[in-house]
Amino acid sequence: MKKFLAILLSALMLMTLLAACGTSDEPSGESAAPASEAPESETPAEPVELTVWHDNDEALMQAMADAANAKLEGTGVTLTFEKRTGLSDQLKLYGGDAANGPDMYLWAHDSLGTFVAMDILEPLTNLIDESVLADDLPLTVEAGQIDGTQYLLPVYFETLLFLYNKDLWQGDIPATTEELYEYMVANTDTAAGTYAVVNQHSTSYNVSPFINGFGGYILDDEGNPGLNDPKTIEAVEYNKKFADLEADGDYNTVTTLFNEGKAQAIIGGPWLVAGIRAAGIDLGVASLSDMTLPNGEPLAPFSGVQGIGVMKVAAETKGDAIALALEALASPEVGVALAKAGGCAPANSLSYDDPDVAADEIIAAIERTADTAQPMPNAAEMNVMWGPVDSMLAAVNKNGQDAASAAEEAQAAALQAIADMQ
Amino acid sequence: MSLRRKLKPWCWCVPAVLLILIIIVFPIIYTGYISLTNMNLYHWQDYEVIGLGNYARALFKFDSGFLSALGTTLLWTVLNMVIQLALGFLIALGLNAPKLKLSRLYKTLLMVPWAMPAYISILLWRVGMFNTELGLLNKWITALGFEKVDFLATNGIAFVSCLVLNLWMALPFMISTIDGALQSVDRSLYESATLDGAGFWTRTWKITIPSIRPVIAPAAVMTTFITFKQFDIIYLLTQQRGYMTGATLNTVITYVHQNAFVSNNYGLSSAVSMLLFVIIIIFSLATNRSLRED
Repeated sequence: MKKFLAILLSALMLMTLLAACGTSDEPSGESAAPASEAPESETPAEPVELTVWHDNDEALMQAMADAANAKLEGTGVTLTFEKRTGLSDQLKLYGGDAANGPDMYLWAHDSLGTFVAMDILEPLTNLIDESVLADDLPLTVEAGQIDGTQYLLPVYFETLLFLYNKDLWQGDIPATTEELYEYMVANTDTAAGTYAVVNQHSTSYNVSPFINGFGGYILDDEGNPGLNDPKTIEAVEYNKKFADLEADGDYNTVTTLFNEGKAQAIIGGPWLVAGIRAAGIDLGVASLSDMTLPNGEPLAPFSGVQGIGVMKVAAETKGDAIALALEALASPEVGVALAKAGGCAPANSLSYDDPDVAADEIIAAIERTADTAQPMPNAAEMNVMWGPVDSMLAAVNKNGQDAASAAEEAQAAALQAIADMQ
Repeated sequence: MSLRRKLKPWCWCVPAVLLILIIIVFPIIYTGYISLTNMNLYHWQDYEVIGLGNYARALFKFDSGFLSALGTTLLWTVLNMVIQLALGFLIALGLNAPKLKLSRLYKTLLMVPWAMPAYISILLWRVGMFNTELGLLNKWITALGFEKVDFLATNGIAFVSCLVLNLWMALPFMISTIDGALQSVDRSLYESATLDGAGFWTRTWKITIPSIRPVIAPAAVMTTFITFKQFDIIYLLTQQRGYMTGATLNTVITYVHQNAFVSNNYGLSSAVSMLLFVIIIIFSLATNRSLRED
């Protein structure tokens, strides 16, 4: 009996070993085949299936795939969107791997510099004419460029918004941050756990409206961090007084507080809207651009552009098919589909001609915010900046450190991290 | 014939040895190789061997911050081990009390924290226990009329919170090991000791502890290493990006991660890993030796 068990277990172990080899081999065989057979002609004679990796909402991506595939009908090219959790790391592993990697990816533009530095992306102008991007909003096109070269095809963009519960909010939305603060003081009871406004006050992205509005910066155009810039420090200090009235600033906490009606308003992106509506909240929305800081400048959140990048290894063998796919993805119809499926603000300005898109108040607020929003820096250095900035904010807001010393420490950490990249 | 005899045990070992080579030895050697190259963002695919340059830079990562992290790690390891052994022993003794009813049920329930994936346990504790708005602890504290406590904001309280969670997660292993050891102790020893007039504490000191020591020692060594190289609890409770709590608590591993692994410079971080590997090997040799001398 023992011997039988031992043999059985050994066999099982061997099988799992071999099985592991098997699974990694299979997809490579499959995806490699069309790659090598892709013809050079304008319209591929053989059907080509292109894979796009994303780490986004699957229903939203399906809507996008359906709209693009409808445009591609008859060309023999089809697009498949595959969800990959931890996409950035996945692309580091598979971005240069023709057999196991994707043909394209969809991701926010702030990681673009990293992928360009890794030399895994193909410039779009090698595949399509610049005119394909002619109808896109300038902010979204610029976000997809590194040193003047276009690497990302912008699809939609996002900014932070002022989202409020119409049943709880009293009066108008304040026009200045000082009025907002007064409202918060009057309507917040931290002991009871009820809040006027909540925000992820120790997360760089959510503090960007203050930092940019005060004229500070996280990373300049040359890739230099500006955490100890006096204006950045001023913004962090100003944010602190709001933070004291905004719970712990943890994503889960603030969204739960708002969705459970314990917070009257939340500063958050359109990605929160589905959850808020599912919670049955009568949602109102305002643009942060309409709120001014004590220096007279409006709040200026970061904008994030979600765009499609093309892997260099895929462009070598499937260039023509990818070009057709990019043209389809750039069409206003794809923007309309995304707006309808997920309330995304399309990058293509023609999409806003659609009456449903034009009538969507969330999309209108994002478009309005685009006036003051600043695209997140997309230099490779940006990748290492989030950590030091978040540490600085947490140290100031939660640990009581003074802003100037926290800023010096964060600046030193950021410079070290940037030096370590080389 | 004798050759066959000599070969046979090797043949039986081949699958296991292969497995160890693939999942343990190969990654170490490969990390060693990468540490000698300039593999980073700017040389992602065209990296080349550059010699020991990364090691010279890596040494600077073992600075005063590293020393303070090492201090925290030692305190963390010692406290965890002492409490785990003491509590584990007491709970296991309780579970082995002869008249205890439903002891199997308690043992099964005690296993739950261990059976749960660490990631999920940690996130559950972060939101469900320690959170200022939604956590159970703060619900109790405010119900009693006190002010809310941010359990993860400053180093002292964050250390205790991490310690409590680690104990919750690690105790089941210790309890089950000690429980197994306790059951292997010959009952007749206790009977004769009782006849000789030995009380509970005398029996525990003179019979139980000496009998179970050889069984517990390997478990204790293993747990010491797991505790020493702890990463997930401290990282996920206090440092995860987007969820930083303000505490600047660091163990050696979280410190090195924070300082060498965020820059995508694989050559440099591999060199740091190799140095850390050497430190852990020295630590393990020292622990093993002191155990043997015992």
